[in-house]
Amino acid sequence: MDELSPARVWLMRSAFVALALLLLFFHLLPIDTQPVSLFSPELFPPLEAIDPAEARLRALLDQGTDRVLVGPDLLIAFAFAWSLRRPEYVPALLLAMLFLLNDLLLQRPPGLWALLALLACNNLSNRSRSLRDATFGAEWIAVSLLLVGILLMNRIVLSVLMVQPPQLRLSLMELGMTIAIYPFVVLVTRTLMGVRHAGPGELDSLGGRG
Amino acid sequence: MARDRSQSGDYTGPLRRLLLAVLVLLLGAIFLLWRIDSPRVERFRAQVTDKLVPNLDWAMAPVTGTVNLLRDFQSYQRLTEQNQELRSELRRMQTWKEAALQLEQENARLLDLNNVRLDPRLTYVTGVVMADSGSPFRQSVLLNVGARDGLVEGWATMDGIGLVGRISGVGENTARVILLTDTSSRIPAVIQPSGQRAIIAGDNSAAPPIDFLENPDLVRPGDRVISSGDGGVFPAGLLIGQIAADPSGRLRIRLAADFERLEFLRVLRHHGTDAVVNSPSVIATAPSATNLPAAESEPPAVTE
Repeated sequence: MDELSPARVWLMRSAFVALALLLLFFHLLPIDTQPVSLFSPELFPPLEAIDPAEARLRALLDQGTDRVLVGPDLLIAFAFAWSLRRPEYVPALLLAMLFLLNDLLLQRPPGLWALLALLACNNLSNRSRSLRDATFGAEWIAVSLLLVGILLMNRIVLSVLMVQPPQLRLSLMELGMTIAIYPFVVLVTRTLMGVRHAGPGELDSLGGRG
Repeated sequence: MARDRSQSGDYTGPLRRLLLAVLVLLLGAIFLLWRIDSPRVERFRAQVTDKLVPNLDWAMAPVTGTVNLLRDFQSYQRLTEQNQELRSELRRMQTWKEAALQLEQENARLLDLNNVRLDPRLTYVTGVVMADSGSPFRQSVLLNVGARDGLVEGWATMDGIGLVGRISGVGENTARVILLTDTSSRIPAVIQPSGQRAIIAGDNSAAPPIDFLENPDLVRPGDRVISSGDGGVFPAGLLIGQIAADPSGRLRIRLAADFERLEFLRVLRHHGTDAVVNSPSVIATAPSATNLPAAESEPPAVTE
């Protein structure tokens, strides 16, 4: 089938937009209104010692839905996976707009994360030919290095401009989760969404156009 | 042509590189603009949120409900046990209610005797939580009430029991509440019964620490912490929580409000603060009365 017909390209572009909006939607659901409990210190004296009635009430009201871990940053993982495989499905303008929208709605400093993510995606799409022939391990390492790199750059720029950077341990946890989830993201990208590398015989985007 | 495009770099094509450069410059400019003129960009952010998120409400409400239903599954399993506990708790509460009613009557009598007038302007708007901050780094929620309902930046927000946060970022139909647990939250408070003043500084943990406490020796675990009204942004006397300590000995607050599931929040209307008037009377020794604005309530010494 024609992987590069305009209809198919636009279909996949809109699929990526839909995916990004879906991820944003789940981020914004008001189900995580408390801080991550992993680093919350144990308080003492325990409430039972001071106010037993209040402690009993809290135990009853407790729904057992503590927010233990930080989730991975799935949007950037998908953006990386798609940029590596089919750069023409995720053009720079689309990525910039989606990342900026995420910055605005997720209360990040607007523009900076979008800028870094865009550069990283562009870097990956430039390397997509060399990484196509490499093993998945090489791709994973490249992606991990880029993730670490934009995390560091983000912190450096924020520190230089005297903006309080996000909490390091949370950032590191998110980074670890994103790196760990990346193989599954690639699996989903390949099998469910059908976004694969252009085969050696196929034309790539430039070949298709010119 | 296809030989070494990966090395030569013209794979991207000059047009695409130009587009990328423009985008990079644009994003960088947005970030720098935010750094220089934060309020303007934050207002823009509030407007974007205001335009987009209410449109998602039709989908968000049922999905949130479903997720909560699935999460509640654990508690369904111990339903009967919980029911019995709740019944016995209710019985205990009934005795408390009697005691509270008696105290309320007594309090009303005493207030009447002393001719105390409570602030009648302290009313509230109730809003539904539409969305949270979306990231673990920030602690805030979005309410479905906004400038349309007369909300103003800085107003206090409570759940049924305790203080939850303050309004920051008001759109036409939405308003963002920065929770007490957010790293940018600073709330002036008083610790009862010693009357010590302190700042509750959020640090992205469930129990925010206490800063700028004058004399920690006077504070005991279990002391109640209420808002002090210093700075005039908040009404005084809203319950925040109880004093506790973490293992390293730092004083923290066990918050009274239930942050686990914020659904409805009260935004307290607060008109009590007098605007600071730029009058030279404090600095200059002899201010001329003509310098003072006409609307200002002038001190008696000046009017004479």
